[in-house]
Amino acid sequence: MSDQLEAHGFIKEEKKLHLSSTVILFLFLVVMVAAFAVLSRDFYSIYNISTMLTNIAFSGIVAGTLTVVMVMGGLDISIGGNIALTSCLVAYLYNLKNPPNTGLIIIIALMLGAAIGGFNGLVITRINLNPIITTLGTMAITRGMGYVLTKSRSILIMEDVVGFIGRGSIAFIPFPLILFILIFAILSIVMDRSKYGRKIYCIGANQEAAKLSGINVRRVKFIAYLISGIAASLSGLILTGQSAVGMPQHATGSELDVITAVLLGGTSLAGGKGNILGTLAGVLILGVLYNGFTMIGFRYVHIRVFQGAILILVVALYEVREKKAY
Amino acid sequence: MSDTTVSAVREERVTFRSRLAEIFIYGKSMVPALGVLFIILVVLFSVATPNFLAYTNFKAIISNIPVIAIMSVGMTFVLLIGGLDISVGSVLGFTAVVVVMFHLWGLNAPLLVLCSAAIGAFFGTFNGLIITKVGINPVITTLGTMALARGMASWFSLDLEILKEGRVYDQNFLNIARYYITPQKQIIPITLIYIIVLYVLISVILKYTKYGRNVYAVGSNEYAARLAGINTTRIKFLSYVISGIMASLAGVILVAQLSLGRDDAGMGSELEVITAVVLGGVSLAGGKGDLLGVIISVLILGVIRNGMVHLQETIGISYYWREVVKGAILILAISIDAARLMAIKKRQIVRQ
Repeated sequence: MSDQLEAHGFIKEEKKLHLSSTVILFLFLVVMVAAFAVLSRDFYSIYNISTMLTNIAFSGIVAGTLTVVMVMGGLDISIGGNIALTSCLVAYLYNLKNPPNTGLIIIIALMLGAAIGGFNGLVITRINLNPIITTLGTMAITRGMGYVLTKSRSILIMEDVVGFIGRGSIAFIPFPLILFILIFAILSIVMDRSKYGRKIYCIGANQEAAKLSGINVRRVKFIAYLISGIAASLSGLILTGQSAVGMPQHATGSELDVITAVLLGGTSLAGGKGNILGTLAGVLILGVLYNGFTMIGFRYVHIRVFQGAILILVVALYEVREKKAY
Repeated sequence: MSDTTVSAVREERVTFRSRLAEIFIYGKSMVPALGVLFIILVVLFSVATPNFLAYTNFKAIISNIPVIAIMSVGMTFVLLIGGLDISVGSVLGFTAVVVVMFHLWGLNAPLLVLCSAAIGAFFGTFNGLIITKVGINPVITTLGTMALARGMASWFSLDLEILKEGRVYDQNFLNIARYYITPQKQIIPITLIYIIVLYVLISVILKYTKYGRNVYAVGSNEYAARLAGINTTRIKFLSYVISGIMASLAGVILVAQLSLGRDDAGMGSELEVITAVVLGGVSLAGGKGDLLGVIISVLILGVIRNGMVHLQETIGISYYWREVVKGAILILAISIDAARLMAIKKRQIVRQ
């Protein structure tokens, strides 16, 4: 009896700790928003906020699915290459002599993402390769294909093909933002309430134990990489819609920014720890940071220094809290 | 009579095949396989294109690889202890900007090199302290340092209006990377000497000194190494410092080659360096691999980059396939390595 109580108490305590980390992140976010609202009048305008949220949605969608992969103990660096290749493919298809209609282009783009994610998943689960190296290879391949497809030129999209995905809005809410909220709601439910989500946490905590307890580890992992690939191509569609151009240099280095956001949210690189709400906070903090400092008058390069400092600082705080907890 | 010869021939064949298998499948490292891949690539390119085997082209390849080659040495140290350093590209960029800045202030060439090495050592110390003392994951730490260093590089080049030019004219400094042995005939580029000396020296250190053996020990089993009385914290710390110094020296070479220092120098080179080192057979888990494999894989990547240009000129295959080829070779190489390890394990089980 006392054992059970102790176990119960321990679980409760852990949950409290985990929740408060996310709460602290959101408090930090609120303080930041308040500070920027005081410092800059333009920050508070509806136009700026909708622009900021649209930008956040672009990287946020990928960050959400990457959280699933990272909780599982994996990593996906091919995101940036995937986004670039998607934008190149959309622009290439549009510029064909007989371009397929918009719906078909979108479906082909999403299938491309699924193919890349599926390839990652297959190689990682079947040949048992290190996910970092595998997706590093996929990154080179996808970006290279983008260069081959466009011959290293930017291909303009003159008509409104996928513009709605990037710039459209429903009832004054930008369409990317709707996608972003929808995907985070689904991911949050899947990770917290579904069987699949529990399996993900289980694999991340101890893959061998998960396998022995009858979880089909290969299938769960494969699906996670597949989803990550599809989300990246969705982000690629948004970026193409916003910029109306397909070029292989799109989203260079974005994989590291997305990983930064996920890490800020408290997801551990070792796996088994992290949640979607934390990632939401991380993505919002980075987005507000960039937008707010730009509004005050800082330049992009100064904000990059802040980004690096904040990443190290926040993760150091996590480390200290964890040491105190045990 | 004839029976015996047939059996003898068969036996010989079997031994030849088993000897091949001994080298390529059950051997300790990927070096022989990489060597064969390198030779195949060279033969392929020299058959397909007329100008590939020319001596000037050899010099072109050599002048292209020193930056990646030098950074790979530092990365090898970090991977050997089971860490990772993503900040090398940014440290290179920051060094490039600072070199130009100091040059404008009038420092001479040896001082510039010293200052650069100090900058690299500073970033390496920063990484090493946070990773070993605070205990943060190396990927996260160096991801942060990467943003920090790149941001500072851009910051400095913004504030110095003169840097819009960003040129270095000091002939002594340019000669660091442009000097040739026998300057009139231009036979051996000085960068080739650097690479050879560096790789031989570090190989000897890794293989025959106490420090080198300690690096391998920490990488293969940190806990056991600590129990054996090795100061694991110091070994790990030093690896990051070496990586930082190598990155900044690569920055010096790059600026001397281009006579240009910009804040976006070395953007994305961290992933290229990791590709080269991993392709060379250094394990991400630590404790496995050597510099011979690394230099061969650096050469392979250089030959691919150079050969694809020649292919475009002669056959018309787009030069841009090179990234695709690079990625495919990386995945293929580690797949083969994984299969090899599995075969070795299987044989051990059978023998037991």
